[in-house]
Amino acid sequence: MTETYTPGKPIWCAGCGHFGVQGALVRALEKVGAEPHETMVLAGIGCSGTIQNNVSAYGYHALHGRVLPAATGVALANPDLTVVAAGGDGDGYAIGMGHLVHTFKRNPSLTYIVMTNETYGLTKGQRSPAAGPDPAHNEGIDSVRLGLSIPGSSFIARGFTRQAEQLESLTVAAVEHANAGRGFAFLEVLSPCVTYKDLYPQWDAAAYDVDEDPAYDPMDRAGAFATCQRLDDEDRIPIGLIYTGNNESMEARWGPGDRRLNPGGPDDRDVLHGFLDGMAS
Amino acid sequence: MSPNGVTDFNVMVAGQGGDGSLTVVTLVDRLMRRHGLHLYTSRNVASRIKGGHAAALLRGSDVRRGCIGDHLDLLVAFDAEALEIAGPRVGPEGIIVFDSSHGEPRTEVAIDPTVQRLDIPFGRLSVRDLRRDLFKNSFGFGVVTRLLSVPDDEAEDVLSERFNRLPPRAKAANIEALRRGFEYAEEHGIEQGQGRWRFGRAQAHGEHILASGNQGAAFGFLAAGGRFFTGYPITPATDVLDYLGPRINKLGGVVVQAEDEMSSINMALGASMAGVRAMTASSGPGIALMQETIGHLGSAEIPLVIIDAMRAGPSTGMPTKPEQSDLDMLVFGGNGDFPRIVLAPTNPYDAFEIGVIATNVAQLYQGPVFIAMDQAIAQDSVTVRRFDVDSVEVEPGKVVDAETLSGLEEYRRYAVTADGISPWATPGTKGGLSLVTGNERDEWGLVSTEPDNRVEQMDKRERKVKTVESLLPAALRGGDPDAEIGIVGIGMEVGVIIEAVERLAKSGSSYATFMPRTIWPVPDETIEFISSRRIVYVVEHNAEGQLKRVLAAAGAPPDRMHSILRYDGVPFRPADLVAALSERASVA
Ligand SMILES: Cc1ncc(C[n+]2csc(CCOP(=O)(O)OP(=O)(O)O)c2C)c(N)n1
Ligand code: SF4
Ligand SMILES: [Mg+2]
Repeated sequence: MTETYTPGKPIWCAGCGHFGVQGALVRALEKVGAEPHETMVLAGIGCSGTIQNNVSAYGYHALHGRVLPAATGVALANPDLTVVAAGGDGDGYAIGMGHLVHTFKRNPSLTYIVMTNETYGLTKGQRSPAAGPDPAHNEGIDSVRLGLSIPGSSFIARGFTRQAEQLESLTVAAVEHANAGRGFAFLEVLSPCVTYKDLYPQWDAAAYDVDEDPAYDPMDRAGAFATCQRLDDEDRIPIGLIYTGNNESMEARWGPGDRRLNPGGPDDRDVLHGFLDGMAS
Repeated sequence: MSPNGVTDFNVMVAGQGGDGSLTVVTLVDRLMRRHGLHLYTSRNVASRIKGGHAAALLRGSDVRRGCIGDHLDLLVAFDAEALEIAGPRVGPEGIIVFDSSHGEPRTEVAIDPTVQRLDIPFGRLSVRDLRRDLFKNSFGFGVVTRLLSVPDDEAEDVLSERFNRLPPRAKAANIEALRRGFEYAEEHGIEQGQGRWRFGRAQAHGEHILASGNQGAAFGFLAAGGRFFTGYPITPATDVLDYLGPRINKLGGVVVQAEDEMSSINMALGASMAGVRAMTASSGPGIALMQETIGHLGSAEIPLVIIDAMRAGPSTGMPTKPEQSDLDMLVFGGNGDFPRIVLAPTNPYDAFEIGVIATNVAQLYQGPVFIAMDQAIAQDSVTVRRFDVDSVEVEPGKVVDAETLSGLEEYRRYAVTADGISPWATPGTKGGLSLVTGNERDEWGLVSTEPDNRVEQMDKRERKVKTVESLLPAALRGGDPDAEIGIVGIGMEVGVIIEAVERLAKSGSSYATFMPRTIWPVPDETIEFISSRRIVYVVEHNAEGQLKRVLAAAGAPPDRMHSILRYDGVPFRPADLVAALSERASVA
């Protein structure tokens, strides 16, 4: 066997939620049978943005906020890969928010895991977009409802690092959704920053598991939105599989489908000559 | 008066833009190509034509020219404003065909006394007799072909060819309009075959195509295996998106119109990292937004081709006007030190070749390569040799496959090598697991701030440029190689310099010309050229002499270099440069 890099040890503070996210991801990749060399983990910048160093896969450290476009490029270029983008709530909802909105819309087949902790861990505790002005209420940006409001979205879930088993099964479901070519699998994980904003107590109290609610229908977009809204009014936070639907994926609509893009060869010359013929008259 | 041979003929058609009213240009263009003339065409150049006005310029010449000529021979003005603005540019013995449907110019227009003006109310007559204003194009073409002594049946032939795809009734109406044009010409005393000008015998130039620099570069990218393109619309780079959009999918590739420039460059980066040759294109404002990622490409060692179709800045500047004012940004922009390559085509064929080189070199050295084109090079359409796709090689670079990897004991993505380039396993390849990052890292890709490693990795990256230097395009040279006065210019200046120096040579002044196609790294030949002259004039379209600044930074003697600058959004004409150089010669 060719020796390659040795995955790093996490550099997170003891008790950081990000450990739980990594554990769930590693187990999920194993469960779905994603070969390490056929997996690419791309991460943003932040404490969360070191996860790619610790998973045995092809890893990429994106610029702050740009993990989704980079992951989209990878997924379009090689649909055989299991593509997992990951990052913090600062990375995804502040500097990268424009890309999130458009990724929901374009629906490329890849998984995106956002580790939400309502803070900028790496830069030492500034407020993140997920944080509202009043810590007692959920007044920050809610990307679950945002995703539900965008017609192209096809998979929206929220996990909580306290609930490891559910987090793992949501991660599996997300990766399977993307790997089946069904589009963009968005998984937000409540992943507390124990150093700058330990929200374990609040989130323990506020979490409401829709998976446990027999009346909840994750195929019903409007119902999902209404439930999320109602829970929010009650200062509760829905977790579980929020929505899954069937929207055409970006690859299917924009070109390559499930084909890999390969550089040209002599076979392409006829096509190129055809273009030149068109420029000759 | 016996007709003048058409050997170098400049035509402008001006009027309300955007409604297809400049179609007459495409007809004249066809006619000229039939007669074996080289074409140089430019759109929307009459910058001071306000209120939705547009103009198209066309130069047909028996010698290949890289710019529009000094004067117009023929102006077709579809309204008074066009006449006001372009009338003074018509040279001696020229002709103005004026659509008098909507009245006279409000101000006195200074027109050369030898210029003949034909007033014909095309628009009004087209509406009256043919029910549509648009037929004024074919009407006007009838007059123009008479002026060019083209037999009526040939004119009809050109028109039919052009309107091949129109429904039969619309085509018939256009032919009807053309015949009206003949009749009107007749009424003005211009008999068939008796016009002011006459084409010479058609010369064969081999197979030609009409292409712009944007198209050339896009085509070169495709030919060199480029299969992933992203863009965000911006003048004058949008043509690349438009050209590749309907074509790349025929080669199994993808075009994505992104939500902004950060997205477009990062998507392209992602595809490239996954092993697909990728490119993005923008103009100054968009390239400015991409700066962080461009440095990241240099650091993380990811290939990418970036077209910068340069418009006049700063800020949103003058979006449709040419400038060469992004050079500083391309050469010096971004945070930190990182390798980069900046190439500058001098015409659309060159853009094709440079598109190929850029795509291959990006792949070979694993970093960003810019194709810098001012708006004129990017958008002006020129007849050029058919792109030689059959000779294009697709360079694989140092990509390693699973088989090679299985024979290795270890694989390090950022292995320090003598040539600076590390073997590259793309995701999906067994045995090549690696970490790619813009943080400083060790050979394995693990983040590291260890001082010795830092220096080793920085030096390795810088070394890569030297490794590919010999593949970068050489400068064009001309004039008198022994002259002690040199002229340096890139992009749109090149055609003007060549023509101006040709004229100056006839009057006994000799200059050596040097027109770089590799801007950065500055090749040794550039420094040598400048160092071995007494004076070098650096001709550029920007206010601060950015090219001169770049050359000086690379070691060209600053005291030898003198700027000839222009930043009014208007290209030089050969006469402008002749005047500028003559003036400097008289004081030198
Ligand atoms: C362009 C840019 N701006 C700012 C930064 C500094 N920065 C690094 S991480 C970070 C925020 C990280 O917060 P988050 O994404 O929530 O991740 P966490 O550390 O909380 O996991 C910022 C602002 C940067 N790296 N790049
Ligand atoms: S600072 Fe917060 S987010 Fe960062 S590692 Fe520590 S606990 Fe986790
Ligand atoms: Mg955070």
